[in-house]
Amino acid sequence: MQRFDLTEVLRRTASSRYNNLVTRSTGKAIRGHIEQELDNGGDGQITVIDFSGVGCIDFSCADEIVAKLLMSHGSARFFLLHGVRSEHREAIDAVLERHGLAVVARDPSGAVQVLGPLPDVARRAFRFLVRAGGADENEVVEHLETNPAQARAALDELRSRRLIHFSSAGYQVPAAI
Amino acid sequence: MTRVVEIPTYLDGRSFDQFARSFESPLPKGGERLLFDAHGVKFADPFGLIGLLVAGQAVLEAGHERPLFTVPANKNVLSYWARLGFFEFAGELFELHGKVPKRAPSGPSDVLLEITPVREVNDVHAVVGAVQERSASILAHELNLESHATMGFTMALSEACQNIVEHAGTSGWVSAQTYNWRKTLGRKVVVIAVADAGVGFRKSLEPTQASRFGDRWSDQAALESALFHGASRFRDPGRGQGLQGIKRYLGRWSGKLGVRSGTARIAIVPDWDHDKPLVDGLPEFPGSQISMIIPEQTAD
Repeated sequence: MQRFDLTEVLRRTASSRYNNLVTRSTGKAIRGHIEQELDNGGDGQITVIDFSGVGCIDFSCADEIVAKLLMSHGSARFFLLHGVRSEHREAIDAVLERHGLAVVARDPSGAVQVLGPLPDVARRAFRFLVRAGGADENEVVEHLETNPAQARAALDELRSRRLIHFSSAGYQVPAAI
Repeated sequence: MTRVVEIPTYLDGRSFDQFARSFESPLPKGGERLLFDAHGVKFADPFGLIGLLVAGQAVLEAGHERPLFTVPANKNVLSYWARLGFFEFAGELFELHGKVPKRAPSGPSDVLLEITPVREVNDVHAVVGAVQERSASILAHELNLESHATMGFTMALSEACQNIVEHAGTSGWVSAQTYNWRKTLGRKVVVIAVADAGVGFRKSLEPTQASRFGDRWSDQAALESALFHGASRFRDPGRGQGLQGIKRYLGRWSGKLGVRSGTARIAIVPDWDHDKPLVDGLPEFPGSQISMIIPEQTAD
């Protein structure tokens, strides 16, 4: 697992005395730093982007850090946005919607959810997996009270978008690992 | 020869076109020297004050002689303009006539953000930082904005300021102030103004958008493209979200957004206001001017 504390990265890349993620160039610099670390042989498949100390994030920064990072590395890695508060959501939700992206996020209380557009069945399946801590396909079908094909399609979608993963223990949400 | 530019007695978003008409942009080459007459001004909000600076900057950037500026006679007005930092920048752009008070040390006031220049990215960081440090409590306690709405306010401010850095091709200013609109609205409001003397929306968007409009390409078309369709001069699909985000934020808090550029003005008008959503054929004015008004939130 690789963890990036955004306030720390901000200090290193933009020498800012503030903890606000604003302006596109700041976002670009932060993403550049993260991508460099990822390219330098990150050891894990889970990348945690830590928002805990972030004051405000604007749309431009959210686009550069969240959306562009997911577009460039989201097919090969699991991303978890950690410490996302409601104040951060306005910008993050907007850029995810704009690009049709989705990502797993954990708020300061520990609650895990998917941010970004997702079909309702897939979202319900995700919530169930969070609550259950993991499940096999039959359990998901049973819980969703839907036909197996629909449940499978939802699980496939979650898996292909790297929102959950599959192992011998079944389907799991990366945050639960 | 000197030509007088009349400044309305009450200079704000409503009377701004009157000032723009008197300014007569674009300025003819050479010849006359301009005299901005603020002697009789009794009130100016951030939008008006920044507009004056933009006009002065446009005159200088067009290569004209430094314009003259007669300062207001009213002592309260003078003192307020000084407190907002107006003369600091006006002194660089105009030849000031009249006694200008020294800038008072900042203390408790309704000024959320003094007139602040926006020239580069670091200025945007400074603006956002200053607003968070000094204004969060005013926004929360006087306007009853929740904490995430306060954060949205700084976000909107950041995006509006970035428009200058990224698109204007020159510098600009930002300022914010709270008012009690007792008579017109019965509530407090915060008025934010962000303006520059740059290329404006039409010229900025021309390379990527004009061909879609052909002969219909205009200031109005450019503003509609930016505000309603998220158009940007960059081909990156992630661009153009700033104004959209501002619009969404203000919509959620019953705020008003107005964007003036060239000869057109577009506005997202809440139900408490009666402005026209789109006006074309206005007196030409350089650059772009954005105004945002957020009213105090009430229980109903």
